[in-house]
Amino acid sequence: MENRALTLYSFPKAIIHIDGDAFFASCEQSRNPRLQGKPVITGKERGIASSLSYEAKARGVKRGMRISEIKKVCPEAILLPSDYETYSLLSKKLYSIVKRFTPEVEEYGIDECFADLTGLRRPLRMSYEKISHEIKKSLDSELGFTFSLGLGPNKVIAKIASKWKKPSGFTVIPGRHIHLYLEKLPLEKVWGIGPQTSAYLNKQGMETALDFARKDEEWVKKHLSKPFYQIWQELNGKFIFNLETKEKHNYQTIQKVKTFTPPSNEMSFVFSQLSKNIENACIKARRHKLGAKGIVIFLRTQDFKDYGIEVNFSSLTHFPNEIIKIIKPAFNQIFNKKLLYRSTGAVLLKLKEYNIVQPDIFGSSLTVEKMEKLYQSIDEINRKYGKHTVFLGSSFWANKFSQHLGEHGDIPKRKIDLLKGETARKRLGIPRFMGNVI
Amino acid sequence: MFTYNELMTENKHLNKIRRFYHTHKRMPSYREIMALTGLKSLNSVFRLIQKMISLNLVSKDAKGKIIPGKSFYEIPLLGLVEAGFPSPSEEELVDTMTLDEYLINNKEATYMLKVTGDSMIEAGIMPGDIALVERGVDARNGDIVIARIDGEWTIKYLRKKGNKVFLEAANKDYKPIFPKDHLEIAAIVKAVIRKY
Repeated sequence: MENRALTLYSFPKAIIHIDGDAFFASCEQSRNPRLQGKPVITGKERGIASSLSYEAKARGVKRGMRISEIKKVCPEAILLPSDYETYSLLSKKLYSIVKRFTPEVEEYGIDECFADLTGLRRPLRMSYEKISHEIKKSLDSELGFTFSLGLGPNKVIAKIASKWKKPSGFTVIPGRHIHLYLEKLPLEKVWGIGPQTSAYLNKQGMETALDFARKDEEWVKKHLSKPFYQIWQELNGKFIFNLETKEKHNYQTIQKVKTFTPPSNEMSFVFSQLSKNIENACIKARRHKLGAKGIVIFLRTQDFKDYGIEVNFSSLTHFPNEIIKIIKPAFNQIFNKKLLYRSTGAVLLKLKEYNIVQPDIFGSSLTVEKMEKLYQSIDEINRKYGKHTVFLGSSFWANKFSQHLGEHGDIPKRKIDLLKGETARKRLGIPRFMGNVI
Repeated sequence: MFTYNELMTENKHLNKIRRFYHTHKRMPSYREIMALTGLKSLNSVFRLIQKMISLNLVSKDAKGKIIPGKSFYEIPLLGLVEAGFPSPSEEELVDTMTLDEYLINNKEATYMLKVTGDSMIEAGIMPGDIALVERGVDARNGDIVIARIDGEWTIKYLRKKGNKVFLEAANKDYKPIFPKDHLEIAAIVKAVIRKY
């Protein structure tokens, strides 16, 4: 009975999940031969480890560790500032390579994606396993570092498969073998099951993912909310969660957070940081033709305490000058001169499609129309001459200085060592090998 | 219904398939269509064919092979959309390529680097030049390659003589490099750019 398969169908759907191995650190190692085989850590500009090479992991460095701690655990660690421009270029390469094989790709994160291979066996004249293998081979060789790939009948199982063996894993879980993989898998390792739910399920006597998958359907439906019932179905081999293959336009929220060093308690400076985040969030909202009905602003102190406040708007907007006027009193309320701040953040809430010209009797639509024109020009100028060529006066201090002063080397090398014809604002969109080429 | 742009690209694709049919006296395979049209996956080819079948441009025989359809030789269906005919210059420019397309063969596998040394100076590669390099391709004898030697990148000719593989500079001052155990080649140089 306990060896009974959860489903008899192997691949009613063939879904793969691909995960870059230590993506940011690997991007750095693959372009600079001096970093290969060494403990490399990115995130220097934030003061905490954001990505670790396997060599760094082996020496006991953990994600989120502070620099001072890293230096104690692993004095030979090489700390690098994050170069998101390069990571994003490589991320695009990842998606494009997978799209050579199938157009159905969900760009799930900068270093991971899902793809649907269903129905491609005949046109490609390969088994699902072979197609997956070809994808991994192309990724590893064309990007210069390894990826872990999982193949399963749905997203939940594919995700378990890609995590099964890392780095450079290749795990195939056909439906009729799912139970073999769930047997020893702790519940909280399942995608979508958090500590709360796994604690609850533990109390109900379920320890492993298999215990949960074998629980009877009626009980699951009665005691858990819909997303968990859906996970239960996927663990049993059914295909429930569709792939989001269209470019995302219906964001629920847009969040922009930026850290700055050194920490500051100067009000105009901290406010300018917040102002710049709001401008950035609005740029994204306008790009997706969305407007917000509210915002959360927050300030994070040097010792990682957050102070936040929510503000609602009377009408939909995506103009930062309007928002900044409204949130100024709220900012004054949470700002405390006695504290040192290290980052600010803004989250635009209740986003809806933004349609102008809804004439109202007070004639404010005329103003809105003018603003829309103004910001179209601003967006156009910034597209042509680089982000933040035109910005609000309230963001002045954030734009005057670079985000991170202090220790030399907090700005990625790619942004300092420019090629002829490149400017601080615009660089060639091709990742670059670093170091001497002799 | 299809949009004007879709029809235009389809016409382009159709013309290429027609030309293939003329020269080879047979219809191209899915893979050949992929190469002809520049479509990125077989799945896209499949969808293109489905569309062409629905427009009677091609059809399938009993074995499922693609054969010319009833309307294979007809003039493009531009009349379907009330957008007028394309301007002649647009038609003429269809077969031109951008500098990017000219220099880059496989976009995803392409990287660049700045040459710092003078070891390839006799091959016309100067310090300060930007090289476009491609990862993931097998290096052949005579290729200019980027290899990893003692924790540094090096740009050299790859030479194969019998069982021996070594790197050769294009500068008399440099000696050939014979790797001790194995040679790690990261990429192959595909183009060199110099901006004045």
